[in-house]
Amino acid sequence: MNFARTFLIYFTIAFMMVLPVHAKDMVLKEPPKSLDQFYPPHSKQPKWTQQMHKLSNHFGGVFINLKEKDFENVDKHADKLVEEYKKTSEMVPEWEEYFDIKAAEAFAAAAKTHDMKKAGKASGGLGKTCGKCHAEQQVSVWTKYHWPSFHKIKVTDPSSEKEVEFDKFMKQISGSFKSMRVNFGEGQYGKAAKALRAFKSEYMELKSTCSKCHTTDDVKRFYVGGDAEKAFQGLAKELNAEKPNPGNFWKNVGLVGKTGCKNCHLTHRTYSMIKEVWEEK
Amino acid sequence: MNLSARMRNLLAAIAYFAVAGIAIAYFLINEKFEWIPESALELVREKDLLERPEAKRCADCHTAIYDSWKKSRHSISWTSKTYIEASENRSKEKCLACHIPESVKGEKPSPRMDRRDEGIYCVSCHFIDGKMNGPYDLVAPPHPTYRNPEYVRSNFCGSCHQKTFKEWQATKEEDTCQDCHMPRTRARLTQKMGLNLLHKKKWVGDHRFLHGEISEKDILMETSFQENFFNISLLNKTVPHGVPTADNGDPRLYLYIIFYNSEGEEVDRTKEILAPQQETALPFNKKVDFRYRLFDPVSRVNIELKYQPAWSKEKELVWEKTVQP
Repeated sequence: MNFARTFLIYFTIAFMMVLPVHAKDMVLKEPPKSLDQFYPPHSKQPKWTQQMHKLSNHFGGVFINLKEKDFENVDKHADKLVEEYKKTSEMVPEWEEYFDIKAAEAFAAAAKTHDMKKAGKASGGLGKTCGKCHAEQQVSVWTKYHWPSFHKIKVTDPSSEKEVEFDKFMKQISGSFKSMRVNFGEGQYGKAAKALRAFKSEYMELKSTCSKCHTTDDVKRFYVGGDAEKAFQGLAKELNAEKPNPGNFWKNVGLVGKTGCKNCHLTHRTYSMIKEVWEEK
Repeated sequence: MNLSARMRNLLAAIAYFAVAGIAIAYFLINEKFEWIPESALELVREKDLLERPEAKRCADCHTAIYDSWKKSRHSISWTSKTYIEASENRSKEKCLACHIPESVKGEKPSPRMDRRDEGIYCVSCHFIDGKMNGPYDLVAPPHPTYRNPEYVRSNFCGSCHQKTFKEWQATKEEDTCQDCHMPRTRARLTQKMGLNLLHKKKWVGDHRFLHGEISEKDILMETSFQENFFNISLLNKTVPHGVPTADNGDPRLYLYIIFYNSEGEEVDRTKEILAPQQETALPFNKKVDFRYRLFDPVSRVNIELKYQPAWSKEKELVWEKTVQP
């Protein structure tokens, strides 16, 4: 019981140390160019991410095997951790200073004593090196290699059938949405119905836009799927009725805004803004 | 016997043995290739053919297939302007596996690092686990060849064309991808002088990977006027997958509807975009309905269906019709 508690405490401390420690002010710098070679299309796989997983597995492997008293595997993981840590330190020259080979070797030596307390204590120095890099670089790396640059995406405007900048298209779709709402508010239902037609075709065009990055249809259906489709049907029903029901109309307006616009903006806009700043330089 | 008579006999003997030799080789290669000892074949093997050669190297023998492939979209999957633009200068990870596949074998392939400019080339589809594969059991002296029944099954194409494959599967139609997009003709697999005479003609698939033409026979339309609404139904009658179809490309059908009054003046116009990425492509043998409110009196409606392939900004007219109330 005591051993389990000690293990849990040290493992938690070690785990927390490799997590990023965020200061209140975060500066996001674009990652160095030399990192490009470890992400597609320059490599087949996201090698840098895979390297991080290797380090994490060997680090965790030491503690898991210490707990299981499988000392042969403790030693193997300790050696592999030092080997992979050294290899990682050479991958991105600009980040060399984040690494402390002596701390890694000290941890491996402590792990090889097969004493949980010693290993836990030695993990602190090593964990700090990981945590510092994660705190300063992790968000930037994720932003650069895992999020699209929306302002580079072209969208086919369903009306002109020409490709337009994504930002311009967003303004256009926002205009059509407003046109429908304003005309409805003024009781001009015919104009509102025509605006709905334009708005719907622009909105559905976003499904094609999602496909420019996403391979699974479920992703685009989350934003522009069945719920949005039902809301559009509800809007069309009201605008084609003799006497439209304002309550139903505005309810469906809200649904369209919530399922598509809000969800997508919450997910994508922050990263897109960061990338835009980097690419403006 | 004088000298010229001797010479004639010698030539006749040479000709006799040459014809007999060719006949025996023809028989062995086409009918009983299992009789040929592997050690004999080893003498004529060209080792570089099993080291992921460039397509041009395959063209040394398979000239006709190479020439067809050169005309295909597969050959420019890495170099086409459309792809480069759509993939943000080839930076999108999701595109790599199928635009530069290492080895296609019935599941999503891995991207390769070498010969990327060749796109989806001979080696991508025929070189599997270190062996040259094809639809036939035969002997090809320069390299060993293994028959793989997957080459005549849709599943093989489904490695990359996964959505289209699923659409086709759902139709339960028997015609495979290869039946329509790689129609077969009787031809020789090799054009290399000498070797071509030793191989029987076989059914050879068209490696241009033909893109079907759609017409009035394929997409049927019905219309009706109902009070102040106009209805259109479209039916994909003949193509056993969505029309259009694509996993990641964005081909489209545009349906243009223009409304005219009795004076012949345009009073309204609208359009539908039928596209796989918008999940509005026409499914096989299932009617799709559209309904339009008529804001003004209408005496004529002009309807046009146009097709725009994923790789082009140009549209082709499929059909045009005019209907009246």
